[in-house]
Amino acid sequence: MNPTRSIAWAAGAFAGGVLLNIDRLPAWVPVATLLFIIWRLVAAVRATWLPNTALRSLVALVLVGGVVMRFHTLNGLSAGTALLVLMGSIKLLETRAQRDQFIVVAAGLFLLLAACLDRQNLLRTPLYLLQAWVCCSALAVVSYAAPMAPGTVARTSSQDPRTPGGGRTRHAEVAGGFGDRAAVLLAGRSLLYALPLATLLFVFFPRIPGAFWAIPRTGEATTGLSDTMSPGSITRLTSSYEVAFRAKFTGPLPPPQERYWRGPVLHDFDGYTWRRSPNSYYRQQPLEYLGRPYRYRISLEPSSQRWWFSLDTATGSPDSKVYFTYDYQLMSAEPVTEATSYDLVSYTSTRSNVELSRLARRQDTAVPEDRNPRSRELALKLRARATSDAAYVDAVMNYLRTGGFTYSVTPPALGTDSVDDFLFDTRVGFCGHYASAFVSLMRAADVPARVVTGYLGGEWNPVGQYFIVRQSDAHSWAEVWLQGRGWTRVDPTGVVAPERLRRGILDLLPDAVSAPARFVWSSPWLMSLLQRWDALNAWWNDRVVRFNYDDQLRILQRLGFDSPGARQLAWIFAAGLVGWMLWIAWRVGRTVRLQRPDRLARAYDRLCRKLARAGVIRQPHQGPLAYADEVARNRPDLASAVRTLIMNYSRLRYGPPAPDSHARQVSRFARDVARLKLEPS
Amino acid sequence: MNAWLRGRMARWIRQRQGPDALPLTLERRRLYILPTRAGVGFGLLLLLMLVAGLNYANSVALFLTFLLMGFGLVVMHQCHRNLLGARLLAASTQPAFARGVGLLDLTFDNPAGPARYRVLASLPDAAPMSADLPPQGREQIELTVDAPRRGRMRIDRLKLVTRHPFGLFRTWTWVHAPLELLVYPRPHGSLPMPGFGGTDGVRATSSPGWDEWLGLRPFRHGDSPRQVDWKAYAREAPLLVKEYGAAGSEMRWFDYDALGALSAEARLEQLARWVVDAEAAGELYGLTLPGQRIDPSRGAEHCHRCLGALAVFGLE
Repeated sequence: MNPTRSIAWAAGAFAGGVLLNIDRLPAWVPVATLLFIIWRLVAAVRATWLPNTALRSLVALVLVGGVVMRFHTLNGLSAGTALLVLMGSIKLLETRAQRDQFIVVAAGLFLLLAACLDRQNLLRTPLYLLQAWVCCSALAVVSYAAPMAPGTVARTSSQDPRTPGGGRTRHAEVAGGFGDRAAVLLAGRSLLYALPLATLLFVFFPRIPGAFWAIPRTGEATTGLSDTMSPGSITRLTSSYEVAFRAKFTGPLPPPQERYWRGPVLHDFDGYTWRRSPNSYYRQQPLEYLGRPYRYRISLEPSSQRWWFSLDTATGSPDSKVYFTYDYQLMSAEPVTEATSYDLVSYTSTRSNVELSRLARRQDTAVPEDRNPRSRELALKLRARATSDAAYVDAVMNYLRTGGFTYSVTPPALGTDSVDDFLFDTRVGFCGHYASAFVSLMRAADVPARVVTGYLGGEWNPVGQYFIVRQSDAHSWAEVWLQGRGWTRVDPTGVVAPERLRRGILDLLPDAVSAPARFVWSSPWLMSLLQRWDALNAWWNDRVVRFNYDDQLRILQRLGFDSPGARQLAWIFAAGLVGWMLWIAWRVGRTVRLQRPDRLARAYDRLCRKLARAGVIRQPHQGPLAYADEVARNRPDLASAVRTLIMNYSRLRYGPPAPDSHARQVSRFARDVARLKLEPS
Repeated sequence: MNAWLRGRMARWIRQRQGPDALPLTLERRRLYILPTRAGVGFGLLLLLMLVAGLNYANSVALFLTFLLMGFGLVVMHQCHRNLLGARLLAASTQPAFARGVGLLDLTFDNPAGPARYRVLASLPDAAPMSADLPPQGREQIELTVDAPRRGRMRIDRLKLVTRHPFGLFRTWTWVHAPLELLVYPRPHGSLPMPGFGGTDGVRATSSPGWDEWLGLRPFRHGDSPRQVDWKAYAREAPLLVKEYGAAGSEMRWFDYDALGALSAEARLEQLARWVVDAEAAGELYGLTLPGQRIDPSRGAEHCHRCLGALAVFGLE
């Protein structure tokens, strides 16, 4: 058996694990791995030089240093994965014994786990299964390649067999032997047998809510809205077709102009950039909810940010680890690194009669003194003409509508006095420009106002009956505080580009930005295909990836348990396990059960047993005729009767077939055997 | 402590299983199975995956963990099946010289089921040898047995092991069949061979060697084809061998009592030396032991008879 084959399989299982993680590794790591694999394989084929322990340790040290340089830590998923990949490659270099190869395959399984912890997409799951299959096949090949106990060396036939403790195997391997194909098929079949158990355990193994510990996930790119907004920052998002979250409503859907998904609320302005306020001492104002409630479930994609999005305005937090801040924003204690889903109730229209606190008013009317002088002047002029704050809002909106402003996703760059530049010079802007300018004008006239970022609209998926909200739906708008109404949403973009509210972002984007998306939209067939795919993904995320203890209890309830709990789960789980074990024992053991001998053989067996009781035991090497002779020698009294029977038997067994009468003759033979009376000698 | 425990275990297993007779079918009640070191490692890996999967509520990791758990259990049955129902048909030994090695030939049969790969057989404290048993086929394993002392050496027990497939579990069984290895004394000593003729007065003649017709005897494995009587075979007689020799001409008697100067064991070793040398030279030789006498002859069977007598001399 070729030892190169098992090394190649171990290396393959490991390489598969590396490939699953390749997008999170610094580029030099897989390159080094590939180099080591090639080196090891070449060495296996033509006995090239392999590094000794000292050199390997040195290389390991250098590579670990490289990882530390890159990640500044060894703790954390990405750094840990890189480390595992490098250590595994070095282990591969020293694989000689079977044990080393087992360890390399185990590293492949470890990398599979790391990939699972990173992402659990529907698209990647088949790859994960494939990797499990490859690893199991590699186990089979490695195990077959070295049959000896660990530490002993297989003797080859060229060695003298007559040395103590040795010997020789004379077997040629069974035709074809246990080759790659057999290993892959056997591993595949074993995994298929395991599938029912895996499904059972998946559904009924009690899930413990909550984490015991957390691996820090540092060094991962954040996606989506950030906690700052400067001119152009949202524009960058609009070219991304990535999904931010999906929303599925139970009951009626909110009308298109109410589909504002609330994200970070920004208070602090330095004349160019809006920021979240670091302090939040203010109490939430009690709200009076108007209109009808909307109930829905959000399935959030991982963003490495802390925002949980809700339809403006949510009524409370869905989770104990998520704060419902004073500005009605949902903020998780931990960054969202995994797909998450939660149920919410929102009202799109609210009112508050409570007075704004002095501190809050001061915060939300602050403008940088030395910036944007022209716009402050404009604000004071417009406010002087207006009779109330509400009238002032209308006046500003009117100014934006009639001032020759245009909406564009590629506005020109602005200087440090961004509001002045926009309002008086460029007059071309995206939602962020309008929100920023509007809030600045409000604050300059002492009207409390703030910028809200989030998403607007979303794409309806008719297959899954939900909205897909993408990064390209990112939006920002304003909220002003009006006496007797509380915080009121005002979207200045709406007056410049009312179609943005109705039709979504796509029609407004220039061709180049959304060419692929536009192509998809132009083909109903492709569109529907993508919608189906997305619905499948959503189902996967909702039903499989986020399957939890509550879902388990729900299934138990459906199975008819009144007050289900962990105990019922454990019972079903145990019963299923026992059932599966019995099935497997039957299924695997079935092939080695001997076939029941046919009727003729059973009858002959009976005859032999009778004769054995009479004192003539048939030796294993004796054929029927030899046995008849033996009987004749030892029991002459039985000779003729037994000889007739045995002759009969050999004729039926070995003689020319008589298809029509064979069965009858066998029956007669059996009857004759049964009638034979023997007394013990 | 470990050795003591192992001895206890071996006794208990022997008592539990009872003595075995060949051919022997490996049945459920005599097969033992435990995870190998790799299997324990695999289990620990799964435990880690389970904890990680539960901790992060990671459904895909959990599913894969459960899948691999099921895989492990299936592997356990497959490893068990790899021995279950196999048959040890026969075991035969070839004698050895003391301080040398003997051979134990095991013949396995695979009466039902697919091929059984990597079936390992071993004697206690010796490296195992492996065989792949084809479906509905037979295969042999040849084991070497260390033979330290002359006599009838009992091969107490035989271990059959398999780790196939996947190497995560090890199934094994003990066979306590009545196996015996005959160990000749070591051919050793430097005394000159006694001259032709001998104590009972058979006279050496001067007639030269190998042309005297001795007769026909049945073919034995190892005979030269040149000696076969092909003409008789053509007449449908059984395979016969023509024996020529120097009957009565050059005949030696090896006498135990004539070696008075040596210790008992040394005498046996010296006698063995002479028997081996005389056989190699193709001479006729006879052996006299106290209370036993083997008439002069030659050939493998005679040699075996002489050496066998030396092997068990004084022991039975």
